[in-house]
Amino acid sequence: MFDLAFNNFNEILDMDGHGIYVWSVYTIGISMILLSFLVAKHRIHDIKKKIKTKNASS
Amino acid sequence: MLTLGWIWGLLFAPQDAVQGNSYRIIFLHVPSVIFAELIYFFMAICALMHLVWRVKLAAYLIKAAAPIGAMITFLGLLSGSIWGIPTWGTWWQWDARITSTLILFIMYLGILTLHGSFSNKEKADRLMSILVVIGVINIPIIKKSVDWWSTLHQPASITVSGGSSIDPSMLYPLLISIIGLGFTLISLGILSSRSYIFTREKNKKWIQDSV
Repeated sequence: MFDLAFNNFNEILDMDGHGIYVWSVYTIGISMILLSFLVAKHRIHDIKKKIKTKNASS
Repeated sequence: MLTLGWIWGLLFAPQDAVQGNSYRIIFLHVPSVIFAELIYFFMAICALMHLVWRVKLAAYLIKAAAPIGAMITFLGLLSGSIWGIPTWGTWWQWDARITSTLILFIMYLGILTLHGSFSNKEKADRLMSILVVIGVINIPIIKKSVDWWSTLHQPASITVSGGSSIDPSMLYPLLISIIGLGFTLISLGILSSRSYIFTREKNKKWIQDSV
């Protein structure tokens, strides 16, 4: 169950011609999930900054 | 946990006898579509709480969950389309499962658009909740579409009752990927909810004190 299914790095990339489909799906998936985290963190940072500025001015 | 599931599935799970290595998309596709439906179901429960008991937080949670639901549904559709090219010979087919999932994606976008189009946010929360409750009818349709209609999409390989037609060497990484994506989306949901609560309640003293 824990044996590597491929013999070398090229086989991992190529996956018998299916590598383009498999790796593009995971690349897009990982990018979208990471981007969502970054956007959420950025929004929290932004709104906190606005509230702090408002607090300081009042 | 998600990384573990994906590495196991991508590198250590054996090749499928029929689909070859293209089946490895399953470790992203199946968790994505499971959570696309579960997030909507969660939103429907929140919508009922908002409409019946006027729980303000429930509406905030819907608004925070909708973009995550849209993102994960899009990912499910996209991964399915890419998987369809080597498996079915086409990236799109207007069959019941795929079309009902596309409707789910449009529902998510509709909910976000509807909420964004009102300046009165209380009214927007109420209308958004009504739309979410109406749209929940699509969830059992997606689930049962492969049984009710003759579709290109295969029937469910794993069922809630515990049955599975997948070999354990492929099933375990799939289950780990599902649990891993669940934790990832919960973390994202917490961040997104926090950001939306800050946005909506920014004039309240408790928020100003907490920053």
